[in-house]
Parts: sequence; C-alpha cells; structure tokens
Amino acid sequence: MTFALVMSLGLTLASADPAASLEAQTDRAVQQAVALVSASVVRIDTVGGLEQLEPGMASAGATTGLVVSEDGYLISSAFHFVSKPTSILVTLADGRRLPAQLVATDRQRMVTLLKVAAERLPVPQPAPRESFRVGQWAIAVGRTLDVESPSVSVGIVSALNRVWGKALQTDAKVSPVNYGGPLLDIDGRVLGVLAPLSPYESGETAGVEWYDSGIGFAIPFVDVLAVVDRLKSGDDLLPGLMGISFQTKDLVRAEPVIDKIRFGSPAEKAGLKEKDRITAVDGQPVVRLAEMKHIMGVKYAGETVRFTIKRGDQSQEFDVPLVGELAPFQPAVLGILPVRAPSETGVVVRAVLPESPAAKAGLQPQDRLVEIGSTAVTNATELHEALLRLLPGTEVACQVQRGDEKIAVTLTTAAIPNTVPATVPAQSPFGMDERPEKLATGQINETLAGHDRPYWMYVPTRYRPDEPLSLVLFLHPTLNPLEREVLAAWKTECELRGILLLAPKLDGQPGWSPNDLEFLSDLIGHVKENYTIAPGRTVVIGMETSAPIAALFAFRQPELVNGLTLIDTKPLGQVPENTPERLLSLYVMVRGNSLEGAKWPQAIDTLQKLGYPTVFSQVEQADSPYPTAEQNAELARWVDLLDRL
Amino acid sequence: MKMTSSIQHDMTIHDLHQRPRSRKTSAWVLVCFGLMLACGLALPLAVQAQSVVETVEQVSPKVVKIFGAGGRKNLYAYGSGILVSPEGHIATVWSHILDGESVTVVLDDGRRFNGRILGAEPQLDLAVLKIDAEDLPYFDLDASTSDAGPGTTVLAFSNVFKVATGDEPVSVIHGVIAAKTRLAAKRGVFEAPYSGPVYVVDSVTNNSGAAGGVLTTRDGRLLGMLGKELKNNVTHTWLNYVVPMSELKSPIQQIVTGNFKPRSSDSAESAVTVRRYDPRDFGLVLIPNVVARTPAYIDRVVPGTQAAQAGLKVDDLVVFVDDRLVPSCASLLDELGQLEPGDPVTLVVRRGDKLETVQLTAPRNR
Repeated sequence: MTFALVMSLGLTLASADPAASLEAQTDRAVQQAVALVSASVVRIDTVGGLEQLEPGMASAGATTGLVVSEDGYLISSAFHFVSKPTSILVTLADGRRLPAQLVATDRQRMVTLLKVAAERLPVPQPAPRESFRVGQWAIAVGRTLDVESPSVSVGIVSALNRVWGKALQTDAKVSPVNYGGPLLDIDGRVLGVLAPLSPYESGETAGVEWYDSGIGFAIPFVDVLAVVDRLKSGDDLLPGLMGISFQTKDLVRAEPVIDKIRFGSPAEKAGLKEKDRITAVDGQPVVRLAEMKHIMGVKYAGETVRFTIKRGDQSQEFDVPLVGELAPFQPAVLGILPVRAPSETGVVVRAVLPESPAAKAGLQPQDRLVEIGSTAVTNATELHEALLRLLPGTEVACQVQRGDEKIAVTLTTAAIPNTVPATVPAQSPFGMDERPEKLATGQINETLAGHDRPYWMYVPTRYRPDEPLSLVLFLHPTLNPLEREVLAAWKTECELRGILLLAPKLDGQPGWSPNDLEFLSDLIGHVKENYTIAPGRTVVIGMETSAPIAALFAFRQPELVNGLTLIDTKPLGQVPENTPERLLSLYVMVRGNSLEGAKWPQAIDTLQKLGYPTVFSQVEQADSPYPTAEQNAELARWVDLLDRL
Repeated sequence: MKMTSSIQHDMTIHDLHQRPRSRKTSAWVLVCFGLMLACGLALPLAVQAQSVVETVEQVSPKVVKIFGAGGRKNLYAYGSGILVSPEGHIATVWSHILDGESVTVVLDDGRRFNGRILGAEPQLDLAVLKIDAEDLPYFDLDASTSDAGPGTTVLAFSNVFKVATGDEPVSVIHGVIAAKTRLAAKRGVFEAPYSGPVYVVDSVTNNSGAAGGVLTTRDGRLLGMLGKELKNNVTHTWLNYVVPMSELKSPIQQIVTGNFKPRSSDSAESAVTVRRYDPRDFGLVLIPNVVARTPAYIDRVVPGTQAAQAGLKVDDLVVFVDDRLVPSCASLLDELGQLEPGDPVTLVVRRGDKLETVQLTAPRNR
C-alpha cells in the first residue's frame, strides 16, 4: 500500500505534471514579453509644481513613460503632469538621465507627449487592433519601484472599447506605479498605454480611485501612435464639443433627444434645435444616449460630425464642426426670491432683490409669476428650468398675478451678481404648528454608523418636517475643530434662515483626504433620511487645510452640492466649467492681507469665465479663529440666495 | 483599491474547533512527504515542475493562525505565522498582537497551542514564537529559501481577514512579483518599521491579519514573509511587500538557538535628524524655501568655495543627490544634512536643457 502510493507520486513527478509545465511556460512567456519591451520603458521624475486641488490623488512620486518615436519622443499618462511640474527628468532603460520637455497633451485620451534629447530609442511594436481579444493575457509594466528592472503585473484584457470607446480594460494592477507604462500582450507587443480613466468623469485624476482594484485602463497604442504627429506640433488635442445636453443622466435609458443647446455653440450655429431627436451619428444609427456617447467619446475638436435628426416627422442632416471650448454657460436670473411654501399655481415672490431685473420691472412681494416667455410655470423648479434656456440680457415677457389683477411685464434677465445684498429677507416659518415628538433639534453629537466617525450638527428649533432646510456642511481645518466658534457664528442664522449646520470631525485622522469623500456623501445621506433638506440649497465650507477636500467634494458630487465656500485658502487648481446640468456657486472669503489672498482676484476672474457665479469677500483679519458673526452673516445671506430666480 | 478591514471582531474561544484530525493521517503524510523528497532528489527536474495545486497542499500545513491582543477600534487581534522547525518554532511579524502575556496558535488541522514569545528583532519587524509540539511540517530555512524576479508567479499564504478558523488551512492568494526594490525609510513616505530590500507583489496580499504569512514560488520555494499593511503617504496607494527570507534567516536561527543579540538601535538617530551640514557649507545659497514643493534652485554661489570651483551656477536646479531625486528644497537640505565629514556627494543639476554632474565633499572642519 505504502509502496503503491509512493510509486504513483513518483510517477506523477517524473512525468512532469502538465499543469506545472504550463505554469512554468506562462511565467517564462510573461518574463520574455517584459524583456522585449523593457528598453522602451522609461522612468519619469518631476520636480516642483503646484499644490494639488486634489490632495493625495496626484502622483508626487515617479511615474512611467514609453518611447513612441526613436528621435526622443515619449508618451505618458497626463495624470503625472496635473501639478505642472517645474522640471521633468527622464531615466532611460540604459540608465541615462535626461531633462524632458512637455510637448502637448491629448486631453481626450489623457496622454502627454514628452521630448528628450536622445537618438535611436527603441519604439516598441504595437499590437494591431484586430488582435485585441477579451480574455487574452495582459501584462502591465512600469518603471518606478526599481529603476533597474521594470515592475510587472499580470492579468487579462477584461473588455474593449471602454470609457466611451477610448480604452482597453484590464484586471492587471494599474496604479500611479505604472501609469504611463505599456500594457503588453503575451508576445510583448504593446496593447496600450496605462492611464487612469473614468467613464463618469474627465480630468487628469479621474479614475485614480480605482487603482489596483482589478479595473484598469489602457489607451490603445495604435490610437496613441496615430496622434503622436499632431501632438508633436505642440498643440493640445481637445475633446470635440458641440454644446448640447440631454434631460437625464441615465445614459442607458435616456433617449438622444436634445434638451438644451448652448448659446453660440456649434450645435446652435449648425441649426440643431431643442427637442430634435438624434437618430444617427456619422451614419451609425443611435437609439440610446449611451450609443451616441460611444461615438463622440473619441472625436477631437476640429473634426466634423454628421448628425441625422428627426424633427417632427421630418428627417434632416447637419454637419457639426466640433470645438475644443464652448462659451461659458451663464445662468440667467430675474432677481426674485420665491416663497418656499408649496404654491398652488405660479411662483410667489418673497422678496425682490435690489437693482435686479425684477426690481427694475416693478415686481413686488406677493406677486405671483405664472408665465414666462409664453411658457406657463406652476412652481419654482419650472421657472428655474425656463431661466436655464435664456441668456443673461434677454428680454422676456412675463405674466404676473397681483391680487385680482393679471399684469404683463417685460423683464431683461441678468447674470447672477457677484455681490450679496445687505439684507436678504428670511423665509418665515410655514411648517405645522406642532412639532412631532422625538424630533431632535438644537446641537446634536452623533457617530455615523458604518464609518465609525463622529460629527456634530445644529438643527434649528423651528424645524418642522414639512419645511425643508438648507444644509451647510462645515469641514474644519485639520488641527482645529472650531466647534464653539462655528456654532456661535451660525446659531442665530440657522434659526433665522432654516439652516441645518453639519460638522463632521476628523477624530484623530491626520487630515482630510479623498478617502473621506464616501464618508461625507454617506453623512449627507444619513441626515437627509432624518430631516427634510431642500433640493438646491446644500453648501460645503472648506477652511484652510480642509479647502481642497471641500472643493473636491463639490466638484465630484454636483448632485449633492450646490454651493462651495472657501475660507482663507489659496486659489484652486484647474476646475471643470460650470454647466446647466450641475450648477455650482462659489463664495470665497479671505481674511487680512496674505500672499495667498492676493492671488484670488485673478482666480475669481477665471472662475467667472468658466461660468461660476462667484462672490469674493476680502475682510479684516480678526482675532477669532473663525470669521466673526458679522463676517459670517454675509455668508449666511449668500446661502439663503441659492434658490434665487 | 483596498478591501476595508471590516472583519475586526475579536476571536473567541468557542470559534476554535478543538477536535484535531487523526494523528495517524498526519504521520502518513509525513512519511510520504519524506519519500517524495527522496524521489525529488533523484529527479531534480521533476520537482521543479511541481504544480500550484501540489504546492498549496505542501505549504498550507506550515502556516499557522495566530490570535492575540487587540480587537478594539482598528486593531485586529489575529495574524499569521510560519513554522520553521518541527518542534514548533514560528516566525511572524512583530506587532500589537504579541502585546499580551501569550498568544494562541492554531494549526491547519485545528490543534490549538499557547505560544510564547521567544525573541524579537523589531528593526526587521520580526518575532519568533514557540509552541510545545513535535513532528510538525515546517520550512527548513537552510534548504528551502529562494529568490525570484519580476513576473514570477507567486503564492501568498496567510490568515488574511481571519477567514480561516479552527481546522481550516489559511487562504492562498496568487499573483506575480511586481518588483524587487528597497523600502526606503524616507521620512513621511512610508511608515514602515522595516527598511531594506523587499519583494512587491501585484495582488493585494497585505491586508489585516496577513502579516507573518509566507510567500512562495509556484513550485513551493520559500521567498519571504508577508509584511504589514503599508500605505505610501505621498501617493495614497497601498503597497504589498514581502520581506525576503534571506534577510530574516539568521536572526530567526539565532533566536531559535538562543544566540540572538538585537542590533544596536542606531535607528534612534533617524528619528531625530540633526542636519549636520547645510548648503552654505558647500558655498551654495538656495532660493527661499517658501512652499512645500519649492524646487531646489541655486540662488547664489559663494565665490572661492567648492561649489564655485565645481562650476555650479546661479539658477541651476538641483535634481539629484547621488541617485536620489530632489523634489524640493527641503529634501536637498535633508540630504546634505545627513552627510558625514569627508563624505563625497554627487549633485546632478539641470542647467537650461542639460544635466550637469558635479562632485562635492562634505567639509571635515567647519
């Protein structure tokens, strides 16, 4: 018995288990593929550069690059150059160290072309697109952990044509360690260039949160090589824009029916109209919005796209030349504050803002606006929607019910002013008289289950479930919770204006980081489960060290945040433009004269050009760590203006 | 992305199966194993070709589950260890789990033992435990350590997240060696107690409870011990590292034989760094260090100093000291500050579009 067992074991070993032999061959093939391309993989270090809008997400360490032409051009992920480094240094595979110039960035595919003074660099062989197969081996290569030999991660190709047609997906581990490096097939041909990407966002750092998760992306190398010559000219390649938007963000179900057209956009100039149904793009039929995004996802500014649309019963074709930049979206307003209690018909005026179009046209409190530009409006949301379709400075005829009279007025819409009026009348309480029992108000200290993180909040004692509150989320500076000071400055305003103040605590964490975004979202969700929060009136405040995370949260979560306040911080890095789909207003307060404060006026100008209504408030430096009650009062009035129409 | 450590309850006694598998079976396995080795010696190529399935069968019994102190807040109370002798010597990481009087060690067959700490080398993040047992399957450190390069398939065995309880073997995770590199004890980048050569693995091998587990090649050769969870504070990414057994072998053997002397704690100086030199000692004045990432531009070169003789110029940007990148003024100050009198130092500066290399020497008397 023993003997038989041993014999069988011995035989298994002697005949070299086919599984073992296959495993050994696979290892060898992987290592050979890496060796084949190793000489084309370079390490990139950067020196200097801006502080980050998104702390922690930006790569401050080394990154990887790949040779794309033998006369010294290298491609890398745009991710590493977000911070606009002072100096870029490249270490070639043979150990040579060279300074590099940033030539241009493809902002559609998020890759950056660099140039070093070197000749006869080895360009790796691209894998042809026809060879791409889901399930084939995929090897991610970087040169950051060790300069001597490249780092390796092995996986498979998980999908093709991801992120709106731009990328291959792989389950090999992709992270700042190998962004910019090649994804290889088992023969050592380059499938793509590794880069962080997200189908839901654009920008250099979109998708970084998926690092090492088994969801990684690579821009097909054949596509990169196709644009290298254009990038060599030094001009960035931009995603092609046409200036149309759709009613819903649910891409799977949404139909490609144009909801809004941006003023002065290529779509408007070409003659597209709202309510046009797009039936084909460049001859390819589309039924859902997602299908259209797949086609548009790889189009550059400068290209012309042919749209087939259905208008009524008629089919028409339009050639739309895409542009890289649209004129900024400017929300238009009339200058009224609506009564927040539900109205039976029309929008009831609570206050008319001074010097606004409404004031000039003689509108009064208690007027009921029932029609704008021959569209009937039954509530504030509908009026807001109608205003999004108008440019500031447009004359528009309105019908107003005043007592028993119905009067016609013509208003000229205006842009949102960059100042806050000295008085903003508060909405008087309209909730039910009796407060339901067990409803906690006042200052409350709690811990958010699931995250095990403490927070405090102040719920105005006037709160009734049928009267929605504004929400102000305060992120305290790293070492100073400021609980007493913030409460002192806000308490009266919370009571007066119906604001719920919510203040999560760091609780021993070294500082706010992008890892906290999920906690913040969940915290807001938790508060909304227990208290009625008005749509459109949520503000996040960042102060000093918490400002970058407040900003990141606001730009990442437009469906949660409507206003962003920054106190005593330096200007933001690059931000996306404001759009009608996700409007964000900004309030910036700088106390005293600081170097950082001096940089704001120019930054505010940029923000306004990007379409952000921005109030800049430079106030005296007081002794208090948080702005004084008086300084804070203007901020509270600004919060109360977020539902202005 | 990293799994959050949500499984953090303390292990209680009744969770542990106490019914050992028949000793007879184990003995049989050992006999067969011995004969297998004998066959292997005769057929070295055949042993090379051991498959993953066979390796897992062979390695799993040599990895133990350790339960000890912790269990509160974010401190898990479980870990992994490697049997390194048939009499129950176990190598594991030095951690808070070992803070209590004793720990509980559970073998893959469910047998429970009290483990006592025989010795530790905190600088290597290493501890050795002893349980009172005999005839255990183990890694022979003299015979079975190995080395492997990037792209090699590896297997990580550990009780990550305490998935295995009682008479279950630990979990196996496969991946490849991503790189062989050094964990630089660079201030603020890594908060690792260990600095030195490591393997980096491309899969998530280092999660709660994994530290102290073992990394082997596909065919069962011993590579190293899984490290703790480690985050790079600059990129906010997690790093899965393994300490090579070649680093751990002699201290383990010394602790086992009772001949261990801990290294003198010369790391104390790294905790409080006194900058011995500053750029002026070389004749350099840098631009004012105003923000965290101020690049190390030379503002002035003092005439007649070695910086001037070496040809350094105003507006040169210092980019490397020896082979290390200088991302900012602050890091140049740190690098120069750590020199010993008489140390040579190579600076690489960027001048326009060229890199220039100069040699300086730390002055002997100042």
